Amino acid sequence: MLNAERKPVTGKRVQLMATCLCDAFYDDVARATVEVLEHAGCTIDFPEGQTCCGQPALNGGDWAAARKVVRHTVRTFAGEDPVILPSGSCAAMLFHGAPLAFEHEPDLAAVEALGRRTWELLDFLVNGLGLTSWPGRYDARIALHRACHARGTGSLPAALTLLRSIRGVEVVEFGELEQCCGFGGTFSVAFPHISQAMGDLKLEHIRAARPDLLASVDMSCLMHLSGRAAHEGQPIKIRHVAQILRDALASA
Amino acid sequence: MAQQLIDQFAARLPADRRAAVYQSTKTTHEKRTAMLFDQFAEPHRLRALAGGIKQHVLENLDTLLPAVEAKLQANGAQVHWAATAEAACAAVLRIMQARGATKLVKAKTMVSEEIALEHFLAAHGIEALETDLGEFIVQLDHDRPSHIVRPIIHKNRREIAQSFERHGLGAYDDDPQTITRRARQFLRQKYLQADVGLTGANFVSVESGRLVLVTNEGNSRFSLAAPKCHIALVGIEKLVPRDRDLGLLLNLLARSATAQQLTVYTEFITGPKAATQPDGPEELHVIFVDNGRTDVLASECRAILRCIRCGACMNVCPVYRQASGHAYRSVYPGPVGAVLSPLLAGKKFPELADLPKASSLCGACHEVCPVDIPIPDLLLRLRDQGKRAGAPLAAAGTPPMGAWALLASQPAAWKAALLGGKIINYLPTKLLPVPPLRAWEKSRTLPEWRGGEFRRWLRHRTTP
Amino acid sequence: MSSDRDTILAGVRAALAPLAARAPLPDWDRDLVRVRTLQPAADPWARFAARLTAVNGTPLTAVADLVALLEKNQWRRGYCDPALWPQFQGAFPAHFTVETAFDRTRVDDYDFGLTAAAGAIAETGTLILTDRGTSSRLAALAPWVHIAVLRREQIYADISAALAALPDDPNVIWVTGPSKTADVEGILIEGVHGPGVQVALLQ
Ligand code: SF4
Repeated sequence: MLNAERKPVTGKRVQLMATCLCDAFYDDVARATVEVLEHAGCTIDFPEGQTCCGQPALNGGDWAAARKVVRHTVRTFAGEDPVILPSGSCAAMLFHGAPLAFEHEPDLAAVEALGRRTWELLDFLVNGLGLTSWPGRYDARIALHRACHARGTGSLPAALTLLRSIRGVEVVEFGELEQCCGFGGTFSVAFPHISQAMGDLKLEHIRAARPDLLASVDMSCLMHLSGRAAHEGQPIKIRHVAQILRDALASA
Repeated sequence: MAQQLIDQFAARLPADRRAAVYQSTKTTHEKRTAMLFDQFAEPHRLRALAGGIKQHVLENLDTLLPAVEAKLQANGAQVHWAATAEAACAAVLRIMQARGATKLVKAKTMVSEEIALEHFLAAHGIEALETDLGEFIVQLDHDRPSHIVRPIIHKNRREIAQSFERHGLGAYDDDPQTITRRARQFLRQKYLQADVGLTGANFVSVESGRLVLVTNEGNSRFSLAAPKCHIALVGIEKLVPRDRDLGLLLNLLARSATAQQLTVYTEFITGPKAATQPDGPEELHVIFVDNGRTDVLASECRAILRCIRCGACMNVCPVYRQASGHAYRSVYPGPVGAVLSPLLAGKKFPELADLPKASSLCGACHEVCPVDIPIPDLLLRLRDQGKRAGAPLAAAGTPPMGAWALLASQPAAWKAALLGGKIINYLPTKLLPVPPLRAWEKSRTLPEWRGGEFRRWLRHRTTP
Repeated sequence: MSSDRDTILAGVRAALAPLAARAPLPDWDRDLVRVRTLQPAADPWARFAARLTAVNGTPLTAVADLVALLEKNQWRRGYCDPALWPQFQGAFPAHFTVETAFDRTRVDDYDFGLTAAAGAIAETGTLILTDRGTSSRLAALAPWVHIAVLRREQIYADISAALAALPDDPNVIWVTGPSKTADVEGILIEGVHGPGVQVALLQ
């Protein structure tokens, strides 16, 4: 399923799926997501039973395990409201990966229905709610990493639209923008050498552009890149785009 | 928990080799992209259309194959069928023996690599000489191609010059111009002595029965100008419905493969030479080769048979760029190979079941594919297949997911783990309890564990 | 062999049997592949010549220019299509050796081969050769220089137009510039197996 086939947004009630990475490591990104959505006028429901989208198992090749997690997620996010995730890859899991793994399952329809109301945060703000700009000020040169699962979706153009509308933001270009950071879920541990080489290449391009910080719509890429940079003793500052939007509001 | 074979191969790859592969794939990819997007208003629409045309072909092969056979025969070609690699080799041999032929020149064809034709013919006393410059060099060195369009992308000029010297093609000189001239001089004598010219076909039009060959060097033209017999080895998926569809496919193929508007030579062949023509084949034999393709057609990965062998997916692939083509241990490397090779392996699937793992699923291959093959989806399907087959090669390095899935479907256990996970902040790396985290920490620092913090904040804040 | 045919076709039928529907053949508009960056020049030859130059080919409009090019590079031994010979005979200086039969035992004795083109494609700088229109496949291929003689009215606008008018001929060849390779370290080298110099001579 393509994310273009989603249901148009009518109301302002949304369900938040924080994602396992924000649940475990990046709580401030989830907080920023809440604050950004609330600024956009949304009422947020956070289903307490949520866990993970199932992507690690799907990508790892264990579809039986992935389906188990997806079924849990489908049950947890019942209803009709849009489900918002601060992660391009988890969103893509729900609207693309999960239906793929359910092609021959009796509950495909329920999985697809969830997919049709699943949105990555920035995509939702711009293409769901129709925002075209974001208020406030944020003084930084920002390198925006194109998270791969946002390929062919509205997320990256949406993030650029909002970031560029903020006073003080300068989005800097860097080499090989279309290339992957090398994370890839279980790929990062099954292919440690290649994963690391890809990450180093990405970091080299980013550093050459001398940004103040590296931003993305996906914390997994940022975790990989910042973890690699820190391991090499050259830490880089990372921000989810939601954090930048939230912080910009402080000087709105 | 050993790391994956392709990763091990990449780790061993000499740095200069990796740099050469990286640089030339990157350059080709960037030229390709600039050209497509400058010259066409809607390149992605073209890819979707081309993909649609090829998908139509695949899903109608039951009628299109007999139709093209009839057309070819009406044009004066002899049509043969080979269900297996062995049958395809035997068909070539039979045609040659019937003519008393002993020498064959071969323009670049992936199918001939697939069926290991050269090896087979050598065992029957027949010389099968590669004429594409890159393939010729591979053959001299008993090496293997590492890219489907640029067979010697992994070699540098010094190695080639040394090899030419060893094989009596002239004293050491690593000037690419000299290397090319020497091959030109050597090979033109071979064309003239050859009994048979063997080619593949990039496309076969069902409408007209035209075989379409695209090359840059002119070796296929020479193979069809000097010898008296032409054999074309054609995968059963190579059909296109109409001549005019070639307008789309040729435009996309040349741009995707080498950033050219058209390759230097595009040949449209319908049969033996014209009566007035002094040079060229008196016989045209077309061998339709299955060799596992009908099995692929029956699988959910049939879209991979749309492939027009442009190489764009390997040029853009970050894994290919690090590992190079030999890492894939098969005729087709890169993203296309990671899907096609295990499928064509048939019963030997487990031996190549790790190939679909060699991807971060970044989707770059799908984004460049001129026939819009959703390669990441196919890789995912094959990972599932590898898991269900219990293939050890596929499992290597991958953390088991069963226990995790159990945890992630039980909210209470999940929440407890979120809180309990805090423990990792205090453990030295080598004592990390979970293997994937340990592997992660070898080259990356983990962020601070903050499990449960967000939920606590959400519960306790004053809602606006 | 017939059994392999049956095996394959049965395999194909079995593979396709479970499909609920077959993918339809999409129709497409040939304007989609027209190169938008190339403005249609008023004169098809001018456009063709510009594109041929872009692929390192050599467009010429006068026989004298051709002779000057050959002379300058000391390409004085060649082949000429017998049908074109009456027309070109007077143009070549006396110290040129031009034959009208191509002897395949002496392929390296020819610096150039002159044969007739069956057409051209302006958008790509492509020459179209046919089997019936080419006096010798080898003469158009083996010498270092190939000269294709072209008439203005034979020039198609683009690939789609040329495909629509593909001649009924066993071997149609589209030639887009000199033979080339980038196999060795990605470095462009011209003149691999075919001509290193590709001339289009407008008649
Ligand atoms: S899969 Fe697509 S991109 Fe890769 S070689 Fe085939 S046609 Fe080209």
